[in-house]
Amino acid sequence: MLAEGALAAGCRFFAGYPITPASEIYEIMMRRLPEQGGLALSAPDEISSLCYCVGASLRGLKAMTATSGPGWSLMIETAQYALMTETPVVVALVQRLGPSTGGATQGAQGDVWLAEFSTSGGYTLPVFCPSNAAESFELAVHAFNWSERLRTPVLLLSDKEVGMTSEVVSDEALQVPGLVNRKMAAAEAEYAPYAAQEPERVPAFAAVGGATKATVTGSAHDMHGRLRKNSPQVIEVLTRLQRKIEAHAEEMAMVRPDLDPEAPCLLISYGVTARAARQAVSNLRRQGLRISFLQIQSLFPIPQRWLERAAAGVEAVFVAEENLTGQYRAAITPYLSGKRILGINRIGSLISPSEIVGAVEGVMA
Amino acid sequence: MTPEALYLSPTAQLPYCRGCGHSLVVRHLSHALESLALPPRSIVLTTDIGCVGLADALFPYLHTVHTTHGRSTAFATGMALADAVLEPQGLKPIVMIGDGGAMIGLLHLVHAAQLNVDITVLIHNNFMFGMTGGQHSALSPLNWITATTPGGNMTPPLDLLALLRTAHAGFLARQLATSRELATTLADAIHYPGFAAVEIVELCTAYGTRWNEAAGASLEGILERQGNTMGKLETETERPRFRDLYHRETASARPQRAKPTVPRLGTPTKLAEEVRLVIAGTAGERVQSAAALFCRSALAAGLYSTQKNDNPVTQGSGFSLSEICLSPKPIDYTGMESPDVVLAVSEDGWKELQANGTLAACGEETLLMVDAQIEAVMPKCHVIRLPLRREAKPKRAALAALAAWLERNPVLPAEAWEAVLALEPVERRAESAAALDIGRRLAKRSENA
Repeated sequence: MLAEGALAAGCRFFAGYPITPASEIYEIMMRRLPEQGGLALSAPDEISSLCYCVGASLRGLKAMTATSGPGWSLMIETAQYALMTETPVVVALVQRLGPSTGGATQGAQGDVWLAEFSTSGGYTLPVFCPSNAAESFELAVHAFNWSERLRTPVLLLSDKEVGMTSEVVSDEALQVPGLVNRKMAAAEAEYAPYAAQEPERVPAFAAVGGATKATVTGSAHDMHGRLRKNSPQVIEVLTRLQRKIEAHAEEMAMVRPDLDPEAPCLLISYGVTARAARQAVSNLRRQGLRISFLQIQSLFPIPQRWLERAAAGVEAVFVAEENLTGQYRAAITPYLSGKRILGINRIGSLISPSEIVGAVEGVMA
Repeated sequence: MTPEALYLSPTAQLPYCRGCGHSLVVRHLSHALESLALPPRSIVLTTDIGCVGLADALFPYLHTVHTTHGRSTAFATGMALADAVLEPQGLKPIVMIGDGGAMIGLLHLVHAAQLNVDITVLIHNNFMFGMTGGQHSALSPLNWITATTPGGNMTPPLDLLALLRTAHAGFLARQLATSRELATTLADAIHYPGFAAVEIVELCTAYGTRWNEAAGASLEGILERQGNTMGKLETETERPRFRDLYHRETASARPQRAKPTVPRLGTPTKLAEEVRLVIAGTAGERVQSAAALFCRSALAAGLYSTQKNDNPVTQGSGFSLSEICLSPKPIDYTGMESPDVVLAVSEDGWKELQANGTLAACGEETLLMVDAQIEAVMPKCHVIRLPLRREAKPKRAALAALAAWLERNPVLPAEAWEAVLALEPVERRAESAAALDIGRRLAKRSENA
């Protein structure tokens, strides 16, 4: 469904390299993209995969690759290049058990930090995280839309259990968001490739091969793409790269809230664990416990207002995620000051509803 | 504007050290472009890291892409593929890369040559890393003195062009930066309708000539000792271009069988509550495909289902397992806290059910249907043993087991199976139908027993 979402979003170029549990996306794109008039290609490694996609995007096409943690490790340099050069591209990162080559056929949510905190300079990479097949479709379209609009790499953080579990999806429940395309530079205009105006703060795009000269560079540059040292213009461009994401953070926020204004506690989850969490919430409520639930689909930028709204009035916040170190919990803790924050974590298998029920009851009962 | 002014700016201040071959290369490149009279906007100059990466600013009318180290060829390949296959405008990527970048990005060169994409790579070989202080590279000659080989380089240099020939490159040439023929060679390379690489041999005047007794004239001696042929090399010239192959292949690709549309039956389902079922067997014995068939028939009957598979990292050995949820409403959690039904159709499957905790999670209410050949102490639950493997054969045991369970618990109408079986490839249908019959028969026999 993630691959179908990418096609619905207008993806025309895909380069891939086999890796469980992302190979399905690769195989589907190899089959489906040519049918849709696009180009799907086998690359000799993950670095090439993402470089090919960035190259295709520089030519003006929407492009995507799919990988897992070990492959993403290799792609990080190129993802940073896309960020610096403001080249739209989407990477589907289907998590498996790490570290290193880890457990290829075991699910995990252990790449949250690896996905987000992978840039030199600490820039925000937008990360969308589906919990089921329908969300994989919808969030793929959103990922492309934001990548195009903000001219930045966007990650779709799935995992083995979401990516490889077959499930029935109701057509009626599928939301197909409207499509967004990058804003193009007016031909032959006085064009500064890295100059952008408020409030979007995103420069217009000149495609390589088009009538307007494209100047692309991954080195620190000014508005004209010139390498400069000690130039205030360079710092302005580098600052804008982060500000353009922050300026759209609230608009990018995607959550599925199920809040109870009287609840003394809030459960937060994302991805596959949100499914167990939703069931746990229903079980807890049946037992008479009042609890709010917030599933986060846009992990980064952090949907700060939603966190504040969902946590207003609660004493305790539980964060359930399939990793050892509470990666997302750590990321959102600064936005939950004054709350008691508790992690529900495990690796190696799905966190079950009863595990969550037990953890919440242990504290709240 | 003079033709030359379209390419290298006549007023450009070349940023290179005195005597550096890079200055000659950019001039020769400009002459080559001038002789081909290519529109500047049809060219994208893709520069790598190092002193070669300073070239983009010298060509104000070309598209320029300055990349990460070694990856210039890969970015150019992406641009070339997108242009040639999807938006054909005759884009000509020209890559400028050093010997260091060529080695770190070696597989990008190899793959671009294999694909035969229409890009031209100028490999500036000055035997070392210049910008970073004169460190040795994979192309340093033997005994070459560098910042990192003060006693002389011990490793024999790589012959990049020979390597690219094995990758089926269609155009390969080697020239000195000082050669009068360089502009012509570059023009020929750019004109070549496919992958072209030109190794341009030069000296780093900041480090190479400072530490080694090398002057322009001695370069040829070094290359001769290394066995490097000069000029255009013999290659496979008749290589088809990637875009032609791609169009041909996608046009002649066997039409994909249209995705079978699972029919929706009018019959109301008999399932009031969610059912969680695990089926485990041996890889290669169609466990997961039987489970998929089962889930499709649930879909035909108007139910929601999830199928979560598991197997070892290998594809065709060890266990194979599917966890299935059936529900009249959308399903959240897809795992098995306490399965309602466990079907074990082989020893491999049984072992995995033990290892992954499924058997420990079975309660007294759990129905455990096992193949009669599995010899193990059964947990305290409702156990039914059936000769599935013997009667249905191993490859159909999973399907027979599912049919047997359905016979005892008819949560899906028989029409659902029929409707889904009709979507199977013809050669499988009879076999699957037979497996279903065997399963039903075994279930009836066990009930009567």
